Amino acid sequence: MTAVQDPPVAVPVAAPDVRDDVGVGVPRGRWFAALLRGRGLVGTVFVGVVVLAGLLAPVLAPYSPLQQIPGANLLPPDAAHWLGTDEVNRDVLSRVLYGTRVDLLVLVTAVPLGAVTGSLVGLLSSLSTASDVVAQRVFDILLAFPVLILGIALAAVAGPGLTTVILVIALAEIPIYGRLLRGAALRVREMPYVEAATVVGAGRWWVLRRHVLPNAIEPVGVQVTVSLAVAVFVEGAMSFIGIGIRPPDPSLGSIIADSVTALDANPGLALGPLAVVTALVLGFLLMAQALAAGRRT
Amino acid sequence: MSANVLTIRDLRVSFPGIAAVAGVDLAVRRGEVVALVGESGSGKTMIARSVLGLLPESATATGSVELAGTEVVGAGEAELDALRGTRAAMVFQEPQTALNPVRTVGWQLAEALRAHGVRSRRAARERAAELLELVGIPEPRRRLRYYPHQLSGGQKQRVVIALALSGEPDLLLADEPTTALDVTVQAQILALLADLRDRLGVAVLLVTHNMGVVAELADRVVVLHHGRIVERRAVSELFARPATDYTRDLLASVPRLAEGGVPAPRREDTGEAVLELAEVSVVYPGKRGRPALRAVHGVSLAVRPGEVVGLVGESGSGKTTVGRAAVGLVPVSAGRVRLGGRDLAALSRAELRAARRGLAMVHQDPAAALDPRFTVGESIAEPLLIHGAAVGTRVADLLTAVRLPEAYADRRPGELSGGQRQRVALARALALAPRLVIADEPTSALDVSVQADVLDLFDELRRELGFGCLFISHDLGVVDRVADRVAVLRDGELLELGSPGEVFTAPRHDYTRALLEAVPRVPVRA
Amino acid sequence: MLRYVASRLPSALVVLVVASILIFGLLRLVPGDPATTLAGPDASPEALGAIRSALGLDRPVWEQYLHWLGSLFTGDLGRSYLIGGSIADLVLGGLLNTVVLATAAVLLAVVIALVVGVGAVLTRSRWVDALVTGANTVALALPTFVSGVLLVLVFAVALPILPSGGVPPLGFAARPDITAQYLVLPAICLGLPVAGSITRFLVESLRTELAQPYVLTARALGVPRRRIVLFQALPAALPSMLTALGIQVGSVLGGAVLVEAIFTWPGLGSLVEQGISRRDYPVVQVLLLLSVAVFVLVQLLTDVAHAALDPRIRIGGSV
Repeated sequence: MTAVQDPPVAVPVAAPDVRDDVGVGVPRGRWFAALLRGRGLVGTVFVGVVVLAGLLAPVLAPYSPLQQIPGANLLPPDAAHWLGTDEVNRDVLSRVLYGTRVDLLVLVTAVPLGAVTGSLVGLLSSLSTASDVVAQRVFDILLAFPVLILGIALAAVAGPGLTTVILVIALAEIPIYGRLLRGAALRVREMPYVEAATVVGAGRWWVLRRHVLPNAIEPVGVQVTVSLAVAVFVEGAMSFIGIGIRPPDPSLGSIIADSVTALDANPGLALGPLAVVTALVLGFLLMAQALAAGRRT
Repeated sequence: MSANVLTIRDLRVSFPGIAAVAGVDLAVRRGEVVALVGESGSGKTMIARSVLGLLPESATATGSVELAGTEVVGAGEAELDALRGTRAAMVFQEPQTALNPVRTVGWQLAEALRAHGVRSRRAARERAAELLELVGIPEPRRRLRYYPHQLSGGQKQRVVIALALSGEPDLLLADEPTTALDVTVQAQILALLADLRDRLGVAVLLVTHNMGVVAELADRVVVLHHGRIVERRAVSELFARPATDYTRDLLASVPRLAEGGVPAPRREDTGEAVLELAEVSVVYPGKRGRPALRAVHGVSLAVRPGEVVGLVGESGSGKTTVGRAAVGLVPVSAGRVRLGGRDLAALSRAELRAARRGLAMVHQDPAAALDPRFTVGESIAEPLLIHGAAVGTRVADLLTAVRLPEAYADRRPGELSGGQRQRVALARALALAPRLVIADEPTSALDVSVQADVLDLFDELRRELGFGCLFISHDLGVVDRVADRVAVLRDGELLELGSPGEVFTAPRHDYTRALLEAVPRVPVRA
Repeated sequence: MLRYVASRLPSALVVLVVASILIFGLLRLVPGDPATTLAGPDASPEALGAIRSALGLDRPVWEQYLHWLGSLFTGDLGRSYLIGGSIADLVLGGLLNTVVLATAAVLLAVVIALVVGVGAVLTRSRWVDALVTGANTVALALPTFVSGVLLVLVFAVALPILPSGGVPPLGFAARPDITAQYLVLPAICLGLPVAGSITRFLVESLRTELAQPYVLTARALGVPRRRIVLFQALPAALPSMLTALGIQVGSVLGGAVLVEAIFTWPGLGSLVEQGISRRDYPVVQVLLLLSVAVFVLVQLLTDVAHAALDPRIRIGGSV
């Protein structure tokens, strides 16, 4: 079975599905080009627009996200409030823009944290059988908790908030990258060129550094885009059920949660954040698909 | 028309950018065996596939392929399905993968029979058992319930042949039917095909690159080169008086066993053994309840400086394991491995690393022998870098030594052919001027004509550089050519050890005799 | 085959045990006095004292753990101090609703996957293929809370043809048509990402199988393509789909929390939400443990099923 597409929820498939063309790779230049064509381009554009909006939130937002405008309760979209107002008289558009900004912060901290930690653990654990067994068990335990359940557990201990969200995402990513890198390491070590090097005297570090790492980077690239999609989902879901970003700070998930009871009064309250979340998740997944397909040619 | 089972006129098959078959005319008469010979890339497989309309999606075919009166080129799927298996049937190269692993043999035969019109379960079972018996599988009724993984390689191929025969075709398209099998099994399958031709009057289009197989089975031979027919003759004529240079080259490149006489030993004994195996056993521990696998048992042999010891055996004989144990890739469960007099097991990690400077390994599979991310130059320089030696002009020198242009240093493996990659692997192996090279089937994955070149090169380099070599192969002809001494392995045990002349002309064991018998003999030119 | 199963058990058990320890430890990790955490800041000193003795908070930690574990096995799931009532009752109350919802979602997903997956592979038309891939990606991409709110917006607010939430008032069995109306939206919401994921797996697996040499053998024998897909490729591709489904159960478990919130479906998901918002730790702990146990068990089962379906593992004994 080839390409593993990770759903924006819970646990993506574990290591056996590490691409069987690891170590028999593809020239690097072509790889990024996949993002500029077809599906990849669509995805990149979606993500790009949202990222821009988030980064420029202080410039683009007409109001402060916390500002309560007297008399503007659950107004439907109009000229003054493009997405209307919410149940405590705040401008939805501004809240969505700032919520996006926070999302970006989460993405930029949590995903690299999980990816780098997981990758290191995966690579290093592959060096000896003992560490390998221990690492695998730890991964199993982490993977036994569906992401949202893990979020609930951590929030119960550490309380809700931005750091909890980041921690949950990072912890959920660690076993994925760990397995990915470990699988890649094992595959590459079986290759004849590694055997040939070992026979001539290469040690484990040499093999890791010169052969495993370069060959394992590519599947990591694809996985990162998927992880970004998952991260958006997790932040949204956690904020949705109230264990994510704490009010009154804006977050896409909590805005959606608030909108459920006000759908007939102001659909803009729901549609705004829904559009952003969808664009981000869809965008990242399209990018992941394009990258994965690009590797195969 | 009627005398011809198959008539091909001006067939052209092309892929985007490549013309695989460039205008071929061919006819196969009832009951005759026509061999379609050529190297990989000659287009022979595409011709066979086009007979049943089984070309890959990206291929386009023009011309005429007439099978039992029906035009195949351009026919619809339904028409083709009616032809497939009933007028002509294919036998594929890899029995390991040609059968569905999760369905029983009986089920797969029943599916085939169903496609040929036999719907009733009982009738299908009867016929299936008959077919298995026809192809020489013992206890056919019992085997119907077996899954493919429970059969041996040879038996799997027999099942594939049975499937092909299920529709009672007039023509068998055999695409390298014995290449993936062990030598002894090859002989059996060839005998089966000959028997079927005699008994059933089935015509065979035999696609192969193995001239020995051609000599044994074919009536007529058609030689293909780059998608065009180069020569077509009756088989005896072709071997006696080849008309073109290309055919001559093909014939000359078949490694043959020296007939008669005991050739003089090629090396003198000088000094201490480079490699010594003393009563070595390797046991792979059982996993998940499976029993332990005894791969090698009590093998003793030595490789003297500058000597080539050929290690011969079929798959499963343990020869690869011996090679890996010799360099410490696999731990030994008993016995000693000595490299240059020093016991491998007693060395510390640093000592082992130093000792490995004098070692090198060349693998079978040129596709994976080089890291695709490294340039050719980087691959060759790797041993030097591992030991911190200066690279300087070594890479260029080595490339020249393996007769590749120096400019290749900047290329990547993906840009080279199989034979070229194997040369690079050889260059890498010689980078540190090793005293011992383990060559594990280094030419088995190469075409016959390329094999000859690589073996020549290997011989030359050995004479120049004087390294010892453990040359592992299942091909007796190849071993005969390069080895000073030969060791025969079976099921992990060493049966014979001596010079090629001794072992091949006067073997001590019946098994060795059987191995020799199984080598297809190419008639020597008159 | 039995050996294979037996080899899988130890790691599953280890995971369960460690997870239970971690979950048990949750309460102890919260800063402050566990008794106050449990009973809430307004509890009286007598109530606190009662809790302390009931839980044996003065005994060593590992004893408390074993005690907790033991009582779980005997069915005594403890008391909820902040929501009220015995936890066992609370759990049983929500269990049926969640099971019905989850089963409906999974069944829906499997049916969609089989129909769409096989259809996509059998079709020769380029744009049907593109359509399926596109729909698949969207299904995968839409987070549950997004699709849920959208579904309610469209089918309950804009075109009010379905209820916007709640369980069928007469129970599940009495009026199947009414049940269907209430079940449709939440089941789609919960099952859509699962459907998207396993359809993709199935299509990939089918395509991989169809590229295998044995398929060429079958084609060369004149077996029609439809038969090859349905009787050879599909059975070969099912085990991977099954494994993927097992993993997707995790998404169902987490998703249930979201879906039950959106559609006011009184099941275990909404119980967990209540537990979180009221900081009722015993409830949360029990539900966490339950979900992990279910997840691990399902993985084990799909593993075993996978092995059972592969005769190479089931029978073994290659030559």
